[in-house]
Amino acid sequence: MSAEPIVRISNLHKWFGMLHVLKDVSLEVAPREVVCLIGRSGSGKSTLLRCINFLEDPSSGSIEVDGVKVNLDEKGQERRRLIHEVRLKTGMVFQEFNLFPHKTVLENVIEAPIIVKGMDKQKAITLAEENLDNVGLLFKKDEYPMRLSGGQKQRVAIARALTMEPRVMLFDEPTSALDPELIGEVLNVMKNLAKEGTTMIVVTHEMGFAKEVADRVIVMADGELIEDAKPQDLFNRPKDPRTKALIDRYRSDGDSEQTENVRLK
Amino acid sequence: MDTPQQTIVDGNQSMGATLVIFQRRQRLIHNVKVGLVWATLIALLVGGLMMIRLQPSYMVDHYQIILQGAGATIGVSLASVAIATILALLGSVARLSSSAIAQGISGFYVSVIRGTPLLIQIYVIYLGLPQIGIQLIGWGYPNLGKIFIMDAIPAGILALSLNYGAYMTEIFRAGLQSIGYGQREAAIALGMTNWQVMRRIILPQAIRIIIPDVGNQFIAMQKDSALVSVMGVWEITYLATRYAKKDSKYMEMFIVAAAAYWILTIISTYFQNRLEKRMAQAYER
Repeated sequence: MSAEPIVRISNLHKWFGMLHVLKDVSLEVAPREVVCLIGRSGSGKSTLLRCINFLEDPSSGSIEVDGVKVNLDEKGQERRRLIHEVRLKTGMVFQEFNLFPHKTVLENVIEAPIIVKGMDKQKAITLAEENLDNVGLLFKKDEYPMRLSGGQKQRVAIARALTMEPRVMLFDEPTSALDPELIGEVLNVMKNLAKEGTTMIVVTHEMGFAKEVADRVIVMADGELIEDAKPQDLFNRPKDPRTKALIDRYRSDGDSEQTENVRLK
Repeated sequence: MDTPQQTIVDGNQSMGATLVIFQRRQRLIHNVKVGLVWATLIALLVGGLMMIRLQPSYMVDHYQIILQGAGATIGVSLASVAIATILALLGSVARLSSSAIAQGISGFYVSVIRGTPLLIQIYVIYLGLPQIGIQLIGWGYPNLGKIFIMDAIPAGILALSLNYGAYMTEIFRAGLQSIGYGQREAAIALGMTNWQVMRRIILPQAIRIIIPDVGNQFIAMQKDSALVSVMGVWEITYLATRYAKKDSKYMEMFIVAAAAYWILTIISTYFQNRLEKRMAQAYER
């Protein structure tokens, strides 16, 4: 963890109208680190994640990804260029998958490498097939997303993000829209990514995954980071009473890992 | 567990088959009834027309004249719907853009066109614009001036295109907005520019929703194109009016003209239904 951080969020604020959803958040993530962001709905964890690749425009503060620093007083052309660079360095997986329904699985995956990065089509296909194979869905490459299950869609979405060869992967509640029996296959793909050393920031309600895979778990409440610790410390000896309440609620809902109850709402 | 289920399934299947046959027969009977109602209505219409001493022989002798006009009607409609589609595309993208100038122009265009009658728009373009043209020629810009003095057919196409373009702008806007925001976010997160998102992700999906509506607009336009007859374009309505006046055979000629439009609409509707079915099958293979 002594390496230069690959993601550095400094003094970030975000207002939605009159609502102050991120309050002076600072966070550093080291290369190859897996960070899970947990917290109740409305705690600001998704907003924080979406600020990293500027799907939400932060109100003030700065964001730096792999040496590209976007200062929020910057305006115009230069700012757009920097945001574009940050987006190339980050891959995002959404709760609702957001596959392109008018394109086949393979077309979904090769689209951005070809039109955004100008990658040679053949090279894009090779890379895409490799990534689809890694998520176990190469045999579905010519299907349309409509014909896939939720878990399969999410695995394709992961392959799509990976094919852009990002430095950091952002996951925004990747299993929250899935039927309980389909959660496992997505989490397994994510575990493999973590094992391969992918830098990951994961907003999740899956406590089992956080405990098992994360290097650090960060708890958010009311737009602030209230606790930041190794999973075994956080789950066994929570310092903040709000963290304790969050974990207790998860425990009281039962310990079986892949049931609906596990996901705190 | 297997055996009883099997027999139940079999029982259901034979029962299902009887039901399907029964339902098919019901549907057939229903359709025949509807057909009979149509036949009766047509018979009543024809009977009523006979009572006013119509001259069917005149209609038979002159129906080719009307058919000569069908070409112009179809041609003007096709050209206009094509140009209107381009205008609507530009108009809707402008409406949804973040640029104040684009939004302003698009909003103004839709408001003016939807707020005025098509007939007035035709008059303005055909009879009003030449006044500007003559003025410009007078000021010493003959080439610029000539642009404002249009023949009847280009003027008609321009008027219909502008008019339908405005209405279709709203259709296109709704189509574009129907594509979920998540599509846009996913594409942006992958690094696409706004233009790439529109061209590669949003438009292709929206087009599938919009195309059946464009078919509808085309069908409506075939009839609205009758208005260009006021400029003397030799289309169905103009030819019908001309002969009706010359020989005082109003009912005869207008019935033939009405029938021609009706048949055109029936043909267009058939193609539109096929198109709609194809669009409904999108993404399925």
